[in-house]
Amino acid sequence: MPENAATEHTESESDQELATLRTLILGQDHSIITQSIRKDAKSIVADVITEALRDRQKKDHSVDKVLQPFVEDSVKNSVAHNSEQMVSSLYPLVGSLVRKSVAAFLSDFMEKTNQLLENSLTIKGLKWRLKARRSGVSYAQYAASQTFAYRVEHVFLIHRETGLLLNTIALDDVDNSDADIVSAMLTAINDFVGDSFSPSHEGQKEQLQSVSTDNFNLLIKPGPRALVVAAVIGNPPQRIKDQLQLTIESIHSLYHDELNDFTGDNQPFSTSDSLLRDCLLSEQKNTINAKKRPPWFAWTIVLLVVIYAGYQSLNWIKSKKLHEKIMQLDTQPGLIIKQLNIDTLDEITLDILRDPDAINITDWLSINGINTEQLNLIERNFHSFEPQILQLRAQRIMKKHPNINLVWQNDKLSLIGTIDIIEADQLFTTLAIAGFTQGQNLLTDELQQKTPAFLSTSKHIKQALFDDLMGRIASIQLNFSVASEEITPKMQQSLIHISQYVEQLEQLAEVLNINFGLLIMGSSDSTGNKVTNDILSMKRANNAADILKNKGLNKNKMYVLGLGQINITDVSNTARTVMFNIIYVSDE
Amino acid sequence: MIQKKICLLGASSVGKTSLVKQYVEGIFSEKYLTTIGVKVDKKTISIENDEIQFMLWDMEGNDSYNVFQEKYLRGASAYIVIVDQTRTSSLTEGIDIHTLARQVTNCPALLAINKSDLPATWHIDNSENEHYKKLFDLQFSTSAKTGFNVEEMFLTLAKLLLRSEKNDITTN
Repeated sequence: MPENAATEHTESESDQELATLRTLILGQDHSIITQSIRKDAKSIVADVITEALRDRQKKDHSVDKVLQPFVEDSVKNSVAHNSEQMVSSLYPLVGSLVRKSVAAFLSDFMEKTNQLLENSLTIKGLKWRLKARRSGVSYAQYAASQTFAYRVEHVFLIHRETGLLLNTIALDDVDNSDADIVSAMLTAINDFVGDSFSPSHEGQKEQLQSVSTDNFNLLIKPGPRALVVAAVIGNPPQRIKDQLQLTIESIHSLYHDELNDFTGDNQPFSTSDSLLRDCLLSEQKNTINAKKRPPWFAWTIVLLVVIYAGYQSLNWIKSKKLHEKIMQLDTQPGLIIKQLNIDTLDEITLDILRDPDAINITDWLSINGINTEQLNLIERNFHSFEPQILQLRAQRIMKKHPNINLVWQNDKLSLIGTIDIIEADQLFTTLAIAGFTQGQNLLTDELQQKTPAFLSTSKHIKQALFDDLMGRIASIQLNFSVASEEITPKMQQSLIHISQYVEQLEQLAEVLNINFGLLIMGSSDSTGNKVTNDILSMKRANNAADILKNKGLNKNKMYVLGLGQINITDVSNTARTVMFNIIYVSDE
Repeated sequence: MIQKKICLLGASSVGKTSLVKQYVEGIFSEKYLTTIGVKVDKKTISIENDEIQFMLWDMEGNDSYNVFQEKYLRGASAYIVIVDQTRTSSLTEGIDIHTLARQVTNCPALLAINKSDLPATWHIDNSENEHYKKLFDLQFSTSAKTGFNVEEMFLTLAKLLLRSEKNDITTN
């Protein structure tokens, strides 16, 4: 037991001694060793801190979590107290990002503009034009407000301290000569707002970020030395603000010195156009209409109107064609269209003048495929003197006289053949009514007229015929020119007629037992010598008698007289004639 | 183009607005003067081969009711203090404004003694006013009514600014 107690005692003693020794060597609470280590702690930790951090991060990712609040706090601190430094070190970084996105913006914008152009040629475009006119704004403005959810119209770059305009660009390159005043005024307003509503305890001035009206927004993005302002129609999205931020950052990095040394000359900033142009963003509306139900009712009305208009114009074209077709009737001989009314295709009124010898109108219409059922035809007759109709008419008339041949020459009708004297009379009357005048368009020289055989039966008729022939002969008179006894071709014609009549008279005279002679009397006018005139009148009569003798007339039956001057006051000046008369003579 | 911000200061109704009214191109109405205390107009001046554009900040008249708005002086290339020679008080007020302005900027300062077409009640050349003269870089007697000396004042100011720019003697 004492042994055990002694051992226990010894153990506790040695423990105590060891602790004392430890305290002696290491100091109280290892203070000696920690003190000696602390002396070199900086260098010891510095040697391994990077590796240690890396290893620990690798092991459990705890380092970044621990560091995060530190970094956040220090950045916050930097921004709060050393913002100038922070800002100038960050700007160059942002500049490159901007340039990268420029290309994307540009191509997107071009696509949208193209769509806008297309719109101006569609029904929608027309509709917008109408609406724009109604609401009294320009089409471009209306289209922009309809097409774009937003669109940046102007961008200003303004020197912050002086409010002077450094550069400006507009969407349509419109002249904006007042941009400088606007920018100065905007700066003034900004200053006004900044100073008026500034919570003064922080010393940081309030900055105007945007000015808005119903349809218009002014977005202001300030930088340390300059601010960029965008005038936007529609509702600007965050995207524009981001772009403005990028642009003002780029401008600060690219024009750092120029902005610091600015004394009023905006020349160096003219190269900032492309940077500002990046801010001319826009976005088309495209979803609103797609979701709406198509306005079927309106479309139906439009469709009906279109169909009706189409039907009407088709009818119009049809009736026009029909009109042209029917009007061709007018070119037909013996037809004259007085009036042609085509109200509808079922209501056609044709007022026409037609020669009875012209073609049948209904037949012509049927041949030409025109329905005559709906046609109200008013036909009135008239006499046409068109050559074709005259021919037809002559042929119709001459059908009754198959012995006589018709010859057409230069629109003149020649009759060749033999005809009874009575028939000839009737024929000539009919032809005269039909528009043929002897000597003008009717030649009857080759038409032999003879006494019809049936007449020989009746003595009375023969006597009447004889008298008629006598009358005919007496009606013939040859008219000479002054101091002339020459027989003209025209006189020859008359003499031929006389010889024919005399021939017929001879036949009749034989039956009737009549002896007759032809008295041929020449005369002259009262001018000149009486003796000469006597001779001249005799010569005229003799010349006529000679011709008749040549035509086969018996010389003994002709009694030739030279009357000389005729002393009748009314005719004495013109009585250069040869007159004929049939006289009864006694048998001996 | 060279642009310069020029501020027009002075007591109420000394004729600041009238002084530039005929002389400038402007688009804003005078309502701005009373609502935000400033209205901006512009004037382009050609001197030999140079063209200089003044942005004229017409500032609301200062009196006991209106505090001097020194914020609008920021970045000014020069300022013109306008006083009315028919009112002695306008001179003292003008000097007060000038003193305030000097606290925020040391750009060239001009004194325009306006209404020269009316009889003066005081003269800057009088001995008691003589020392005020030295406070300003230039001094003009002008008339907004007749336009007397207005062009000349702005032309001289333009020359001064161009010269100081070329000599690189920037005052700020």
